[in-house]
Amino acid sequence: MRNGTGINDISKECDQLAKITKEGLMKLPYPYDQGEMEPKVKLLSDQEKGLFETSLDGVSAILIPKPKNKAEEDELCRKFLSGFRKLLTKENNWTFLQPLMHSLDYCGKCLSCSDECPVYISSGRQDIYRPSYRSELLRRIKGRYIDGTGGFSSWFQGNGVELNWATIARLAELAYRCTLCRRCTQVCSRGIDNGLITHEIRKIFSQEMGIAPKELHTKGTVQQLRTGSSTGMTPAALGNIVEFIQDEIREKTGMNIAVPVDKEGADVLLIHNAGEYIAWPENPAAFAIILEAAGIDWTLSSDLLGYDGVNYGVWYDDVQFSRVAVKHAQIAKKLKVNRIVVGECGHAHKALITVADRILTGDLNIPRESCLPLLEDIVLNGKLKLDPERNDFLVTLHDPCNMVRLMGIVEPQRRILRKICPQFREMTPHGVKNYCCGGGSGFAIMTSKSFASWRSTISGRMKLKQTLDVFQHESAPEIKKYVCAPCSNCKGQIRELFNDYKLWETCGVLYGGLVELIVNAMVDIKQPFIEWEWH
Amino acid sequence: MGNTLLVMLTYVAYVFIVVMYGKKVYRFASLPPHLRWDLYPVMHEPKYKYGGSYYEHPQWWAKHRPRSVVRSFFWVLKDTFYLGEYFHKNRGYWFWLLPWHLGFILIITLHILCFLAAVAMVLGLSVAAGSSDLAGRIFYYFILLSGICSFVLGAFGSIGMLVKRVSNRDLREFASPMNYFSYLFTLVVFLSGLYAWYYVDPTFSEYREFWTGVITFSPKGVQGGSVVHIVLFDLFLLYLPLTRSMHYISRFFAFFWVYWDDAPNVKGSETEKKIQALLDQPVSWSAPHIQSGKKWTDLASGMPTTD
Repeated sequence: MRNGTGINDISKECDQLAKITKEGLMKLPYPYDQGEMEPKVKLLSDQEKGLFETSLDGVSAILIPKPKNKAEEDELCRKFLSGFRKLLTKENNWTFLQPLMHSLDYCGKCLSCSDECPVYISSGRQDIYRPSYRSELLRRIKGRYIDGTGGFSSWFQGNGVELNWATIARLAELAYRCTLCRRCTQVCSRGIDNGLITHEIRKIFSQEMGIAPKELHTKGTVQQLRTGSSTGMTPAALGNIVEFIQDEIREKTGMNIAVPVDKEGADVLLIHNAGEYIAWPENPAAFAIILEAAGIDWTLSSDLLGYDGVNYGVWYDDVQFSRVAVKHAQIAKKLKVNRIVVGECGHAHKALITVADRILTGDLNIPRESCLPLLEDIVLNGKLKLDPERNDFLVTLHDPCNMVRLMGIVEPQRRILRKICPQFREMTPHGVKNYCCGGGSGFAIMTSKSFASWRSTISGRMKLKQTLDVFQHESAPEIKKYVCAPCSNCKGQIRELFNDYKLWETCGVLYGGLVELIVNAMVDIKQPFIEWEWH
Repeated sequence: MGNTLLVMLTYVAYVFIVVMYGKKVYRFASLPPHLRWDLYPVMHEPKYKYGGSYYEHPQWWAKHRPRSVVRSFFWVLKDTFYLGEYFHKNRGYWFWLLPWHLGFILIITLHILCFLAAVAMVLGLSVAAGSSDLAGRIFYYFILLSGICSFVLGAFGSIGMLVKRVSNRDLREFASPMNYFSYLFTLVVFLSGLYAWYYVDPTFSEYREFWTGVITFSPKGVQGGSVVHIVLFDLFLLYLPLTRSMHYISRFFAFFWVYWDDAPNVKGSETEKKIQALLDQPVSWSAPHIQSGKKWTDLASGMPTTD
């Protein structure tokens, strides 16, 4: 292989399987083409390397402590295999068993998927980041240790991988080097889904071994189930934030809007990603302005979990996923709303509207939809007075994978932008063929040790390149540019990515949601709603 | 005796492959319904050209959701013969893979035609270039064409795939000895067919006669070259179920039952009943936040007891 890292090398004792260097990464366009303006690739210190497993690529996403002795190592190997066996049973994994079995059994090993993966390409084609690398590894472990073919049969089928601590620790880390964007699956003629296999590997570690990134589990789903939000925001805190948002709306627009909270029998329960309230309160504010102006009968919920639509379980743990999804539906049922509308958050869309569809049975099966068709209906059917000239600056659209490739919501957001942004232009590629922002599958919120640096320099690199490419002839910082990303996690990733590369200072590129652009174009609002300052 | 053994082997090979494939299909089809895992474009959607779905409509659940299963079916079928994604994304691989695949498809076609022609011959039809029956002439030329094309394309593809796999470091790393064996095995099968056709049975008349013997349980004698090909092809049929060859069929399942399975769960539906039964099963995952032994339903409506 190009970097000389074979699949069976995963079990080899060595400090680091793959070396990441700035020079080896995919080249970026102007003004980053010379490399001097690139941030450094941060790796863990020697002291940190002594504490945590970093032998995959010098990065630690999940901070797995090293086992203290051989007995502990053996126990972890045993638990991994125990989890893998459970993954292949109907009782424990009916949720994804059928697609998993197909993807494990029928790969043609043609490697056509590799060139579709932004992580693999951005890394300078590091073998370990191939979409099929971890899948093939899992197949070989299955062949040798689960199916139990030994001797000639094992050799004949190529199941030569050794299961030891190095294999398991590196596989755990590898499961967090894929954003689950499933771009690779689109090109597979046989329908092999490497993203799904990655998802299932994460489940073995979480559901059987209790190993998951703390940002997704302890500070994610567990915190959300206990306090109401993965941000730690409590129902009481929501009240203060809503008051703040109302004040902000009054100050910026002169409009007196009483944001409805816990309004029983409302038509729409709007659920935002709670990160919006904290990081981008202008987004829920813009929603409130639009829905009020359009005469929608809507409400927020202040119930535990009712004000945070995130569901990190969809990335790593079916049980946690189900718990969060059921709570969301129970809240809607309690409020007696007609429908749930999910705000600008891609994974919350996919989790609650699509994946949870077969978890929510009986009375919990409450109609759920995306905010984008609702917004399209409002904008295109003249329910707001809009002046596109107010958005007369360069605008491009980032397609959140969860909404677009994985739910087929492609055109509503585009029809809105074509109507209200005269200088709207598409990235290449876009729509269902888009590239992930690099923060998918939980990466946007994972910050442990050197992972944030890895995320900006590798997993987000393709999105950075796309952004630079789309504005290549207007890169001067004084020309205003806006990347519309109608997804909280994507915005979180784009914020860190642009910040690390100083894209605002260097090229004048701002990012934000879709509703901010709609409100910015509203004739009734005297001052521009979008503030051209970095945040 | 030899002829009888040859017919016996043919029976065994065909019964084996049908039973094994049937078993695999049944096992896959009987797996429980899974959670939605859509991937767009979904070909039965009216907006398939850009990958749109019914979620693009406000209050989608209240609207009619037209779908074209025929279009989806023909899309997969077309891709089986054309391998479009390979053509667009991995042309160098496609160049060898397509003839290899077509070799398989045509050799199966050849055998189906030979079987049908044999049935027709037993019923009195003359299958020959100069047959007075149109059906006889059609059988004759289609068998000839599918046989020759299969052997030539299959042999070409087998060599190409072998060379491609050996010469490319990345592909080699992912390959198993079984992959190389498969290329060599298919090459031998196709070459033996080519030899038998060219030197022994240029009109496939002997092979059709062999098949009348198979279906009437009265073994007919064939010459050495044909015997070798028949034995190799029968062994190949016995080998196929041990490989990943069922992807010809399983890809239909992957698209129709997973990526394009966008049917929403409806209250009181059969799907809901099946899901409810699955939710009533106990779970044995061992992580601390999961209470092992509880039912899915109880876990989903409960809280993690520990981190």
